Amino acid sequence: MSRFFERYEPETRQFFDEVISHDGTPRAHYDKMLQRFRQFSLDDIKARREIVNIFFRNQGITFTVYGEDEGVERLFPFDLIPRVVPAQEWETIEKGLIQRITALNAFLNDIYHDQKILKDKIIPAELILGSQHFRREFVGVNPPLGIYIHVTGSDIIRDRHGNYLVLEDNLRTPSGVSYMLQNRQAMKRAFPVLFDKYKIRPIENYPQELLRTLQEIGPSSRREPNVVVLTPGIYNSAYFEHSFLARQMGVELTEGKDLVVNNNKVYTRTTRGLELVDVIYRRVDDAYIDPLVFRPDSKLGVAGLVNAYRKGNVTLANAIGCGVADDKVIYSFVPKIIKYYLGEDPILENVPTWLASNPDDLKYILANLGSLVVKAANESGGYGMLIGPESTIEEQEKFAEMIVANPRNYIAQPTISLSRHPSFFNDTELWGCHIDLRPYVLYGKNITIVPGGLTRVALKRGSLVVNSSQGGGSKDTWVVDE
Amino acid sequence: MLSRVAESLFWMSRYFERAENTARFLDVNFNLLLDLNKITHVENPNYWIALILVTSDKERFNSLYDEYSARTVTDYLVFNKSNPNSITSCIGLARENGRSIIESISSEMWEQVNNLYHYLQSVTPQFVHTDPYGFYKEIKNASHLFQGITDNTFSHNEGWDFIQIAKYLERTDNIARLIDVKYHMLLSEAQNQTEIVAGSEDIIQWMAVLKSCSALEAFRKVYLSKIDPDNILRFLILDRTFPRSINFSVCAAEDALWRISGSSRHRYVNNADRLIGKLEAELSYTAIEDIYAKGLHHYLEDLEQRLVKVGEQVHLTYFAYHTPEIEPVDIEEALPFTGVAGGRAYWSQAQQHQQQQQQ
Repeated sequence: MSRFFERYEPETRQFFDEVISHDGTPRAHYDKMLQRFRQFSLDDIKARREIVNIFFRNQGITFTVYGEDEGVERLFPFDLIPRVVPAQEWETIEKGLIQRITALNAFLNDIYHDQKILKDKIIPAELILGSQHFRREFVGVNPPLGIYIHVTGSDIIRDRHGNYLVLEDNLRTPSGVSYMLQNRQAMKRAFPVLFDKYKIRPIENYPQELLRTLQEIGPSSRREPNVVVLTPGIYNSAYFEHSFLARQMGVELTEGKDLVVNNNKVYTRTTRGLELVDVIYRRVDDAYIDPLVFRPDSKLGVAGLVNAYRKGNVTLANAIGCGVADDKVIYSFVPKIIKYYLGEDPILENVPTWLASNPDDLKYILANLGSLVVKAANESGGYGMLIGPESTIEEQEKFAEMIVANPRNYIAQPTISLSRHPSFFNDTELWGCHIDLRPYVLYGKNITIVPGGLTRVALKRGSLVVNSSQGGGSKDTWVVDE
Repeated sequence: MLSRVAESLFWMSRYFERAENTARFLDVNFNLLLDLNKITHVENPNYWIALILVTSDKERFNSLYDEYSARTVTDYLVFNKSNPNSITSCIGLARENGRSIIESISSEMWEQVNNLYHYLQSVTPQFVHTDPYGFYKEIKNASHLFQGITDNTFSHNEGWDFIQIAKYLERTDNIARLIDVKYHMLLSEAQNQTEIVAGSEDIIQWMAVLKSCSALEAFRKVYLSKIDPDNILRFLILDRTFPRSINFSVCAAEDALWRISGSSRHRYVNNADRLIGKLEAELSYTAIEDIYAKGLHHYLEDLEQRLVKVGEQVHLTYFAYHTPEIEPVDIEEALPFTGVAGGRAYWSQAQQHQQQQQQ
């Protein structure tokens, strides 16, 4: 028997702890878990760690780190302590996301048609029309059901007081959902008893829901759409996920060279000739998807795909040009976007954001670099970021130059102390690690969100960066009914 | 089945078989030298040149090393990454092909190719020199295990047939080359000695060839202990029941090809089926005297050329882009096939870089 939680120091004066409340007592929804962990010895934990490691290794669940000599495959770090989200908190998240995604989709539809929101001067037109992700080629194109963002994964964090805030909208086919599914499998194997004590909402139907969504958005003329997944290829860090989802949905995993466009229709090349394709769940960025329209040097795309799409012969998920709405600058306008299209106040708040393109904000940013987090508008994965309190004067000066040179490309936010969750270090002691939450939202005829999502955890002591490329890991996320 | 998936299955299988056969070449040479060192001068580089000659790799080898010895040839054929046919390269490429179709193959197949890959990453040249027998056995067994796993965990449908075609085309080619090693040895000895002597050395060499095909015992069951070149060639080229004979392998490749297309005797559907059928029919009615009449070396060379043609046609029929309107390309004008070092499993630097850039 070991007293992991008794020795755990939540530091609730500084941080919102997911398990221990400010008065030092465990939150009610963690009671059963704490009871169970009290029964475990160090060896029990080691045995369970082994079960989990073997599971992940056998499944080939690895990600690739670049920048070293060869892309090295590593096991995705996984923390054994699950995160518990009570049902009523989940209702808020779910409602908030449905509201947000509905509004963002309406925004995209408007931007690529009448641009009313620009004419009404809610958002400065130059921010949209000057965005590198705005695809003027798609103005006037009507995707089936008017939906642009079929699969999204907004990053949600909790502040000092436990409020759920949206940190980022990922509208360009976010990754990580395979980890969500595999984490659940691993936990079921390693902690069957604990699992039984909670009423955990299932997530295993995600691949079916994804397939259903993709089938719903097929070109209207055909009854049973042929869906394929389009991957950049085996060197992509999310390749495992692409092949996993294809396998789970029972559809073909294709690379650009497997697809060919003839007479504005898209086909797969098979050993028996050509087969028509209706829907492409693509995990290739806009810029690479069709060398005839975007980057001519792309070796991952399909020549002619964009025209086939514009003709309505094939549907791309997500649509082309969604990046214009998940840009970090546009992010700051999302509360206004929700108000404009839905007439509602946002259920999930934004993190306060200063825009370097706004002269007053710029002054404030430059004066406060040491306390702010500065982000490049178009970078993801934790790259191109300045974390003020952790930075050196030289780094701040370098960023100040870059910001002044290209203000449109930078935003700043206060350093939010993300909520913390006890996580195992070396499977011997618990340490409070910062976490976030990425639920996956599917948008077909309706919006579906499987309960939970991927909880990413910054497994470096004190680190705020949860991205897997920067030493982050993940944990299983349980939405529980009482 | 996606053409790319079929092609990756084909090359995964082919590279795996190639690695096994290279291990066999090297293994037999080590054995041979052990057997011969009582009677002849084993430092003779001719024994090692032959291995490079049969892999048609003389130029590349010479650009990398300045002598033919156990050390350099082993390094080249086992470890060298700039040799696309080294065991390490082959298994790397087999794994890469497997990884690109990981959703199509069984997880057991993937684990096996992955295990062998990691084993090879951990092996040092020193280890191979200390225990060549153990090392090559490991490679051969890994390949057998892979085939057994494939047979027992992977549906025997079109994809499995592509694996079989690749395996048997590669094996046929390799048996032909292995017999040719012997030819080259005789040739180089002839140059030195001005005449071919069929003495005890010769018998030992032929026995080594049999051993490297795991064929010595099977051979004895048919021909007892009459180890003479005629019988050995009859067995390795024309036997229809031994799985490492040319005739058997060609039949097996033919079966797999015909299963895919629905071809049958007297009625072929595509050029790949026609060429393999023709080869099989000729082998069935060939006597060892016919081979001698043509000259053993020329016979083998011709066979290798015809295997390349079959490979080309498999490529054109099933892997290359084609639409029903386009007539099959005339066989003589077929695209040059990259042959030994060819195949997919090659992603350029630019492609790799772009794949990594996607979010």
